[in-house]
Amino acid sequence: MDINLFIDRLFEKAKEEQFEAAEVWVGESEAFSVKCIEGSIDDYKVSRSGGLGLRALVNGKMGYASTQAYDDDAIMQLIDGVRESAELNESPEQDEIYAGDSEYPTIKKDATDIFTVTPEEKIAAAERMDAAVLTCDSRITKTKGSVVSTGTGRTLLRNTYGLCLEDSAAYCVAYTGAVAPRGDSVVSAYDMGCGLSFGELDPEQIARNAVRRTIDQLDAAPVSAGEYRIIFEREAMCDLLQTFCGIFSAENAQRKLSLLQGKEGEKIASDAVTLVDDPLMKGGYATSAFDAEGSAARTKAVIENGVLKTLLHSRKTARIQGVETTGNASRAGYASPITVAPTNFYFKPGEKTLDGLQQQMGDGLVILEISGLHAGANAVSGDFSLLAKGYAVKDGKRTHAVEQITIAGNFYRVLENIREVGSDLLFPGSGIGSPSVDVGTLVVSA
Amino acid sequence: MLDQNIAAEVLACAVKTGGDFAEIFMEDAVNHGITLRSGVIESANTSRRHGAGIRVLSGTQAVYVYTNDTSRQGLMDCAAKAAAAVKGGAGCSLIPFAAVDYARPGEIAVDPMTVKAALKAEKLRAANAAAHSVSDEIIQVMGTYRDSVQHVLIANTEGVFATDIRTETRLACQAVASNGTENQIGFEGPGARMGFEFFDSRINPEEIAKAAAQSAVTMLHAPLCPAGTMPVCIDNGFGGVIFHEACGHSLEATSVSYGLSEFTGKLGQQIAAPCVTAIDDGTLMNEWGSLHVDDEGMPTQRNVLIQDGILTGYMIDKLGGRRMNMAPTGSGRRQGYTHAPTSRMTNTYIAAGSDDEDDMIATMGDGLYAKKMGGGSVDPATGEFNFAVSEGYLVKGGKIVHPVRGASLIGRGSEVLMKIDRVGKNMRMGQGVCGSVSGSVNTNVGQPMIRVSSLVVGGGK
Repeated sequence: MDINLFIDRLFEKAKEEQFEAAEVWVGESEAFSVKCIEGSIDDYKVSRSGGLGLRALVNGKMGYASTQAYDDDAIMQLIDGVRESAELNESPEQDEIYAGDSEYPTIKKDATDIFTVTPEEKIAAAERMDAAVLTCDSRITKTKGSVVSTGTGRTLLRNTYGLCLEDSAAYCVAYTGAVAPRGDSVVSAYDMGCGLSFGELDPEQIARNAVRRTIDQLDAAPVSAGEYRIIFEREAMCDLLQTFCGIFSAENAQRKLSLLQGKEGEKIASDAVTLVDDPLMKGGYATSAFDAEGSAARTKAVIENGVLKTLLHSRKTARIQGVETTGNASRAGYASPITVAPTNFYFKPGEKTLDGLQQQMGDGLVILEISGLHAGANAVSGDFSLLAKGYAVKDGKRTHAVEQITIAGNFYRVLENIREVGSDLLFPGSGIGSPSVDVGTLVVSA
Repeated sequence: MLDQNIAAEVLACAVKTGGDFAEIFMEDAVNHGITLRSGVIESANTSRRHGAGIRVLSGTQAVYVYTNDTSRQGLMDCAAKAAAAVKGGAGCSLIPFAAVDYARPGEIAVDPMTVKAALKAEKLRAANAAAHSVSDEIIQVMGTYRDSVQHVLIANTEGVFATDIRTETRLACQAVASNGTENQIGFEGPGARMGFEFFDSRINPEEIAKAAAQSAVTMLHAPLCPAGTMPVCIDNGFGGVIFHEACGHSLEATSVSYGLSEFTGKLGQQIAAPCVTAIDDGTLMNEWGSLHVDDEGMPTQRNVLIQDGILTGYMIDKLGGRRMNMAPTGSGRRQGYTHAPTSRMTNTYIAAGSDDEDDMIATMGDGLYAKKMGGGSVDPATGEFNFAVSEGYLVKGGKIVHPVRGASLIGRGSEVLMKIDRVGKNMRMGQGVCGSVSGSVNTNVGQPMIRVSSLVVGGGK
C-alpha cells in the first residue's frame, strides 16, 4: 500500500496498543552501476529497495523493528516486534521520541542531472575511462575494470507528534584501476572521482590519475626501519580520520570506548588543529537540515585550535551529560538503531600546499595510501599499525616510491603532534574530509 | 516461496533479448539481534529482509537487477529491466525445473525462531559477568547475540529450482581493559550453522567472555611490539586469516579470471612450501562457512586448493567459470538478494601437518608468536596483504618472554606461502565475516600453528 497510508495505519495501531509515542524512518534508494573492462560490459546492476524502521516508546522503554514489506501483516509484525524489543530493553537512560524543533535551516542544493542521465551515457563514460587507462601510458598492461555508478535516495521521518521531515540525495561515483608489470611482479593503483552531479565527473582524468599512481610505484626502493617524519596526503588522512572519528562520539565516551570522556575544554591536539562538523555545508555528501532524531542541524567546531570544544551528541547522550544536542543522531539505515555520527567532518585547511608541507619537512615520507584499517587500527585504544604506500622525500623533493612498509602510532598522539595542516581540503566520496597533514614522527617498519 | 510457473515466466522474460542464462535468487530472512553494554541489555532488534534478484548472462556480460517487490508483476518488471540491458546474444530455451529441497531439518536441533528473546539475553548476561570477573581493569563489555534463519530459492534457465533454509547463531564478546589513560580490547566471536543448541553443544558464553577479557588485560600490560623483519609463529584457529588474506582471495575466480591474481595460470605449479596443503570445504556439518547449496543453486563441495605446495584448484562461480573455461566449484556466494553472486570462500584452512607446536617455538630463535589474529586485507593483483596481531608475544632464543601489543604483519601472498617452514598438528578453525564484491558472507578460517621463516612485523617501537 501507499507508504503514507501505511504509516497512518501503523500510527493508529500504535495508539490502540497504547504506545506512548512512535516514529518511523523510511529509507528508499535507487542505484545503477556499470563496469566495463577491456571493451565489454562486464557487470550491470540496477536496484530499487527500501524499508521502514519503527521506533516506539512502550512503558517508558524504546523498542525497534523494521520491515521491507508494506502490508497488513507487516503492521502487526512491527507492533509485536517493537513490543518485544522494548520489553527486553534494560537501558537505565530515559529515551524519547522528539516532537521536533520549531524551525529548520534551509539547505540550498544545486540542480543535479543524476535523475536524467541515461544508462547509455554512463556506459559510454565507463568505456572511455577504461580505454583511457590502456592508452595513456604504454607501461600499463591491464585495467582492473572501470565502474560508473549513480544513486538516489530519499528519507522520510514521521512521528505521532505530527513531525514530518523529508530529505533526498543523489550521488555519482566513477573509479578505475591500472596494472603495470615490474620484474616478476606487478604494481597497481586505483583512482576514484565522485560528485553530486554526473556532469562533474571527468572519466579521462580519473583514468590518468589511476595510471599515474600506478606508474609512480615503478621506481620503488626499500627504506630501512626506523622513525620518520611523516606527511599523510589528504586521502590517506581522510581514511585515518574516518577510522577514528568514533572517538568524538559522546555515546562512545559515555560507554568508556573513547579516551575523550570528560575532556571537553581541555587541550587534546596541537594548536594547528581545528576540526569542524558542518551538516549545512553546501554540496556536502552528508548535508541535511535535520538529524535522525529530528533535531535541527547546526555547524560546530569539535576541536578549535587544539581545544576540545564538544563531543558529538544525540538528544539521548546530551541529556545524560546535561548539555544540548549537537544534532548528530544518526542511523546507518532504516533497520539500524540510532547512534551518534559526524556529518561533513573535516580538518580546517591551513595555508600550505602538499608541496609546501614537503619543503618544510625536508626529509621524510609522504603516505599516499594506507590499508588494513578495519583490522590494523584499534578505534578504542587509538593504536594503529598499517600497511602503507607512498614516497620518500629528501631535501623537500620526491626521491622514489616506497611500499611494503608499515606505519605505527596512536591517533590521540597524532592529534597532539600535528605540525601543520595543508590547504588542499578534499572530501573523497563521503562527509569525511581532510587536507594533507604533517603529523610529525612515526615508527616505520620494512 | 515462488510458484514454478511464475518462475518460468520470469526467466523466459529475462532471456527474451538474447541472454543465454537467467537466474532468480529469492530470499526471506528473519534476524534477531540483541546487544548488551554497560551491564544491561541495550537494544534488541528483529528485522526481516525480503526480496529477489534477477541475473541475466550473455556470454561473459552480466546484468543484475533486484527488488523488494516479489509479486509476479514486480518480478516481471525486474526481468524486463534486466533484459533491456542485454545487447543481443545466443539466447536460450528453458530446461524444465527439477526441484530440489536442500534443507536438512534434522541438522538444527533448536530453531532460534522458537526461543524466547529473554533466554537469548541470558547468554549475554552470563558473558558479561564472566568478563568482569577476570579483572577490575575491565571497564566495558559489549556482548552481541545474533541469529538468522534465511529461506532461499534459486531458479535458473538450466532447470535448477533449489530451495534451502540456512540457520546461524553467533555470540560475540568484546572486552575493554583500561588503566585510565590507555585502552585495550579483547575479542571472541564464535558462530556456527546451528540453532540455539549452539550453547549446549558448541560453546560456553562464560569461557568466551573470559578469553576476551584476559586478552584485553594482557595487552594493556604489554609493551609495544618492536618493528622489523623476523620469523613468526602463527597459532591455530583464527590465525588461519593469514591464508585467507594472503592466498585465499587470490584463488577466487573474481580475481583469477581477469588475470588480476598473482596465481593466474599457475595450476600444477609449486606456489607454496611442500608442507602446505590447503582446502576450501563448504560441506562441513554445522560449520559457520558451510552451505548445502551455493547461491547459484550448485551443491557445495570440498575443493583442494593446494596439495603439498602444488596449486591444484581455484574457487569458481558460474560467470568466473565462463571466463576461465572451467567448471564452477560450488563457490558462488552473496550477502543476499541485493548482491549478484561471485566466487567466495566457505571454510578455508591449511590442513594439519606433522610438526610439534612447542618445538616450533623452541627452534625459532628470536621472533614473534602471534597467538591471536585480528582481521586483514589483500590486493589480489599484487598479493600485498596486511593483518593485525591482536595478541602477540615476543620470542627470544626460542622462549616466549613477554606479550607485545600493536603488531601487524605485512607481505606478499606468493612469498609468504613459500616461506612457511613448519606446520603443526592441531588444526582448528575460527569464524569471520568476509567482505568482498558480493557483500559480507560468513567464512571460517583455519590452520594448525604455522611458522613463517621471515615476515615484516609492523610495530610501534
